[in-house]
Amino acid sequence: MKKNINIGKIKQFKSMRESLSLQDAIREANRCLLCYDAPCSKACPAGTDPAKFIRQIKFYNFKGAARTIRNNNILGGVCAHICPVEKLCEQKCSILALENPIDISGLQRFASEYGEKFGIEPLVKHKSNDNKIAVIGAGPAGIGCASVLAKKGYQVTIFEKENAGGGVLRWNIPEFRLPKVALERDFNNLLDIGVTVKYNTNIDSEDAIQSLMKNGYKAIFIATGLSEAFRMDLFYNFSNAIDYISFLRTIKIKNGNEALVNKNVAIIGGGSVAIDSAVSAKACGAKKVYLISLEHLGELPADQEEIDLARKMNIIFKSGSQITGLVSDKNQITQIKGKEIEWMEPEKFIPENARQIKGTEFNLNVDLVVQAIGTKPGKEILKFSTGLKTFGKGILVVNENFETNIPGIFAGGDISNGGSTVVQAVGEGKKAAENIHIFLG
Amino acid sequence: MTKKADLSINFCGVKFENPFCLSSSPVGNHAEMCSRAYDAGWGGIVYKTLGLEKSFKVVMPSPRLSVYNYGNKKFVGLQNAEQITDRPIKDNIRDIALLKKNYPNKILISSIMGYTDEDWSELAKMSEDAGADILELNFSCPQMAHKSAGHRVGQDFHAVAAFTEVVKKSSKLPVIAKMTPNITDMIPVAIAAKEGGADAISAINTIKAITDIDINNFTPLPNIHGHSAATGFSGPSVKPVAMRFVSDLYNSKDLNLPISAIGGIETWIDALHFLLLGATNLQVTTGILRYGYRIVEDMIEGLSDFMIERNIKSLNEIIGKATEKIVDPSEFTTRYQVISVIDEEKCIGCGQCYISCQDGANQAIKFDPKTRKASVDEERCVGCLLCKHVCPVWDCISYKEVDTKNAKHAAIF
Repeated sequence: MKKNINIGKIKQFKSMRESLSLQDAIREANRCLLCYDAPCSKACPAGTDPAKFIRQIKFYNFKGAARTIRNNNILGGVCAHICPVEKLCEQKCSILALENPIDISGLQRFASEYGEKFGIEPLVKHKSNDNKIAVIGAGPAGIGCASVLAKKGYQVTIFEKENAGGGVLRWNIPEFRLPKVALERDFNNLLDIGVTVKYNTNIDSEDAIQSLMKNGYKAIFIATGLSEAFRMDLFYNFSNAIDYISFLRTIKIKNGNEALVNKNVAIIGGGSVAIDSAVSAKACGAKKVYLISLEHLGELPADQEEIDLARKMNIIFKSGSQITGLVSDKNQITQIKGKEIEWMEPEKFIPENARQIKGTEFNLNVDLVVQAIGTKPGKEILKFSTGLKTFGKGILVVNENFETNIPGIFAGGDISNGGSTVVQAVGEGKKAAENIHIFLG
Repeated sequence: MTKKADLSINFCGVKFENPFCLSSSPVGNHAEMCSRAYDAGWGGIVYKTLGLEKSFKVVMPSPRLSVYNYGNKKFVGLQNAEQITDRPIKDNIRDIALLKKNYPNKILISSIMGYTDEDWSELAKMSEDAGADILELNFSCPQMAHKSAGHRVGQDFHAVAAFTEVVKKSSKLPVIAKMTPNITDMIPVAIAAKEGGADAISAINTIKAITDIDINNFTPLPNIHGHSAATGFSGPSVKPVAMRFVSDLYNSKDLNLPISAIGGIETWIDALHFLLLGATNLQVTTGILRYGYRIVEDMIEGLSDFMIERNIKSLNEIIGKATEKIVDPSEFTTRYQVISVIDEEKCIGCGQCYISCQDGANQAIKFDPKTRKASVDEERCVGCLLCKHVCPVWDCISYKEVDTKNAKHAAIF
């Protein structure tokens, strides 16, 4: 049984779920059927091998479980908090034919925390060879790639533009979903195995790439993610219309945002980050929080659990609605105007397919507008990609080996898959590392 | 109105409304508790074993319980260092008299334990005078803090015969001798009791056991101020051992005494198992310690429904029916061979049967990695049914007989 979400904790900017107790973990692990060729393990994009760590918990080998997790997935502790397990390992759980799936993320978190609490030995640096590898971006894909290469003995340096590692994990995933301590624990494992991280370092030009090559880096892994949020033209000139990346970042750093107390906030978007933004706004003390999306309630891309949470937090859903205009005072939006819509063609959830319904006009008084309508690669990619092939919104083209069109330059994670899960990014980073290893012979 | 079967039994010439009794233990510690047990539906009570404080003053060790757990399942067995009653004898005798006055149709069995002939005799007389219907002689408590009592007596068949004889001479009441399982063969002791005049045998008392050890301080549990002991183990874990002893007793032609069965009974199916092995009367403690007196409601209703469904008019029709089928392994028909049959529709694809057959049997299960369905390699299967027993779906794996004359079978060379 999964631990329930605790809304009180969300408002305190603490993990929204309790850890499984020892009793919980033993009970849960004992429900596991210990499958042959376990489908849960096969469903993990990062190869964390839940079947093995659950077996280890069942047989009271708790530290062994912690070792399995961190050896297979350097961000195993992080993934335990944020992985969409209902769509991955837990969806494949054999016991689903008989009862609820095993709480795999709960057990993963239990084992990771147990290892730390009971003094699991630190990871050690592997004997290094002379090959230097550069990883650009210390987010999930970069961390995943660096961990595998470091274990193979490469000298790996991650170049990170921020002053701390983690990427979205550090700056954009709210504390109630991912506590900082979980990231710190996993990130320290990365440092322990000998990965060097250069902070405040922008690799944002062709020269910078060239200079890495000249300085003896044998391969480069680009894992810069999607760092720039889309913004709507309508809101372009208004200082109280921001994107979710900066909105969530402020709250994450400050554990709250007093400026939101008693304010009305409109979130534009219907995905997971829109819900995270709405819930965060409410947790900060906002009065009314609107979630405005073209999609109707049943069509939202966010997970059901996220939608349920937003409802419990009294988020006002303006689903199936389109913004038609605004009222402003100087450079401040004071009111958003909208109408309900219907789709002209079914199952085609794009603005061009929406038809506004007469007589459904609404006006919302707002103090802040947060745009959570998607992300694209940061500008730095354009700068060092004169030769790199991209498509769509600037997504890097890679082959099945995660290699770009330029030999020696690899890429993985959101920058080349267009935006996916953390666990997917870790998995791609790991696979890219294996291919870099092959590439370097 | 719900139809009810006749669950009454005649045991040692005494009529019980149903065979379900409390066994001698804390569940029958005093009149108030016993009254509630009677009210809940129990047909009889074996009152907590009486002793004479002038011979030996009982002091209970503390803590005195430990449990055997399996995985997330707690209490699959219970270890206790409980002694016989520590209440004054006059209080207990007064309680027995009160119970018989208030519940004249319910049965009260007085369990007694003496240290000398005089003790046994005095306890028997006092019980009879108080109105007890039957006496049970406790020859079997495995943890008496007294060197010449409990199962030490029960392992010495001369003492068993002698004490039984003393009791029979002192009282007209029927006498049950309660056996210890902490012995290789129970039959000689039971026969000694019969020679001393016992009218029935009850079995089993608890099995001497160690359930747990605190791995922080290397002290077995219960940790009684730094010490522990191998003491009486009971509950669902001991039921298979109890069933074996009950069937041994029933199968002994020399013994031929009615049996009161004890050992891990919690449900009507457990009860039925013991009846089928030859018990007439049934006793329960650990199930009550764990779940309370109320469990008897489900035993009564469940057993009654079973009898009605099967048109069984009296429990006498089924007593011992399974024991008749228990033979020496040398008498098995080995030309009869089976192989497993997996119902593919019901298979949930966990592959536990595959793992167990690979590592623990004859590598006779195939597992399709694509469909995640298990199937039987009929030429390799030896019909051990390990697969059936590990399968999480109760009715997924069954078996069928193979024609050992014509078909190739791995067990026939």
